[in-house]
Order: sequence, then structure tokens, then C-alpha cells
Amino acid sequence: MDLSVFHRRNKSQVNEKDIIVTSNFATQLFFSYFKELVGKEVTVELKNDLAIRGTLHSVDQYLNIKLENTRVVDQDKYPHMLSVRNCFIRGSVVRYVLLPQDGVDIDILHDATRREARGG
Amino acid sequence: MVLGLYAFADIAADGAPHLNSAAGEELVRVERAAAVALGSRAPEPPGTLFITTRRVIWVSEVEKGKAYAVDFLAVSLHAVSRDPEAYSSPCIYTQIETEDGSDEESDESDSEVNVETELSKVTEMRIIPSDPCQLDGLFEAFSHCAELNPDPNAESDEENGWAHRDEGDEDMTGGSDAECEFSDVNPIGQTDEHDITHAVVELQINDQRFEDAEEAEHETHGNGH
Repeated sequence: MDLSVFHRRNKSQVNEKDIIVTSNFATQLFFSYFKELVGKEVTVELKNDLAIRGTLHSVDQYLNIKLENTRVVDQDKYPHMLSVRNCFIRGSVVRYVLLPQDGVDIDILHDATRREARGG
Repeated sequence: MVLGLYAFADIAADGAPHLNSAAGEELVRVERAAAVALGSRAPEPPGTLFITTRRVIWVSEVEKGKAYAVDFLAVSLHAVSRDPEAYSSPCIYTQIETEDGSDEESDESDSEVNVETELSKVTEMRIIPSDPCQLDGLFEAFSHCAELNPDPNAESDEENGWAHRDEGDEDMTGGSDAECEFSDVNPIGQTDEHDITHAVVELQINDQRFEDAEEAEHETHGNGH
């Protein structure tokens, strides 16, 4: 198991209580979990540092992510992406997905990690 | 796996690209009169866009023999861009993953002409259809084909992004939040490779390292530099 879930701290651009889930391994677990978050607002940070906030439209088994109503977090750095409304992000280039606190059920996540640990 | 944009030469007399049918490559969508703009360059005169199950190929209608291709494996992101403030024409905006500076296959491209290496460094490509109504259809075709091309080595990729320096940095202390969050996971038991406690320790190290990485944007660390 290499599940990395932790509170994000000391970052001004996001709510202090936002939770970060990295997509290292446990892809199946994340897939199941992210499916529950469809319709919620998330921020996807890419490995090239681009961070895009938007409504999670869909996610697939490879953790490809479709966002709607997107906006780039750092608009000064990426002005040309201002206009993008919907966006398909390749799962393999995702570094983090930041979830809103109210979109996270810690109990479900704990259960999922326990199942993952037993299954492993 | 080929990253980046590359010149495409295998074009039939009728202007259609020869596909790698032996590897199961099939044509998904053809879009005529589509301009393409690489990086911040001006759009090229219109050509024909071929979306296949493996890659995107653009063939110039003006300049014979001029064609570009990019594998879906290298298309990090695609999106519909309609705001005239961001770009003058409605387009499909794509980001392209390129090889890092030091790749082992570079000796081959060294002998190629300069244009080739320039192409391989392009990180953004816009496709501008003559009819903006085609954008949504193009976006769906891109999405469909991206899903057909998952990373063949996703796990090792991820490892490069994360798990290295850990052993050498044992003096790092973890974030107490993570410890608190997972404290009741400890008693569960063991997985095949390592126990949960170890995983929690890794978790804290990851947490610490993540914060380092963030801070490195505005302050330089002595460590390693």
C-alpha cells in the first residue's frame, strides 16, 4: 500500500483543511473513491505545476480526469488557459488532486485503505 | 513510447497518412481545413487532421509532405478554448509532454535536422477547425482516444515522482496531522511487502518532502545544490 492522504498546511491558495490525495499506487482505490466525488469541486495539480480547478465531470480507471467550469489557479503564469471551460487531463500527468473538505468522508477512506491493506 | 511532437512522413498519394495497422491503429475522425498552431507560433495554413486510435496526425494541404504527429501517450491535456481573449480563434488546446533534456534516445535525433529537435520541444498545440461547431466533437474524439492509450509504465513513472530520496532523509520528522489521521490504521496488520507502520512513516516523509518541494519555489535549499 502506498496511499498518501494528508492534510495540506500552510498554503494560501487553498483552504487549509483541503485534503490531498496523490495518485501513486492504489489506483483502483482512488478510482472508486473519485467516482463518488463527481460533481464536486476539485483542484488537479499536474506534474508540470499547472493547477486547474473545476467541477469533476468524470474519472476513469486510469484516473484520467474530466473537469468542467475550469479555471487555472495561477492565471498570471498560464494566461492562455483562462478561456478553457472543460478539460481532459491524462491520469499519468496528475500529481495531486485536492479535494474540498466537505467532499471527503474520512470514514469511507479509512475503510477503503483497510480493505486495500487486507487485500494486499 | 514517443514523447513530444514529431515530423510525419508516411503519407499516401491521396494525402492520407499510412497508419500502423499492424499495431491496430485505426482512423477515428478526419477534420479537413483545420489549422494547427505550435507553441506561440502563428497558425500554419490549413491542413487535414487525422485522429487515430494511437495519435493525432496533421497533414498540410498547402505544403506537400509537411505533416506533424503526436502520440496520445504524450498528450497531457486537451480542452476546448473559446474565449477570444485567450486565443483569437476557437480551438482545441493541447499540452504535450516532451522528453527531458537528458534522454537516452537523444543520440538518434542529434543527427536530424534542426526542425526535428524544435518540434520535439513543442509543449502546446492548438487545433483550429474552420467550423467552430466541430470543437465539441473533436474534444470527444480526443477524450475517447486518450482513454484508449493508458500509460504502459504508469507505476514506474509515479515512483520517479515520489519514492526516491527517502532512505537518506531519515532525520525528517513527519507532519503530526498525518499521524493523527492514520493512527487507528496501525493495528490492522501487515501487507506482503511492508507493514502499515512503515507505510505511515513513509507517509510522513512524503508529507515533509512535499512541503519542501513547495517551498523550493521561493527559497533555495542548501540540500543537494
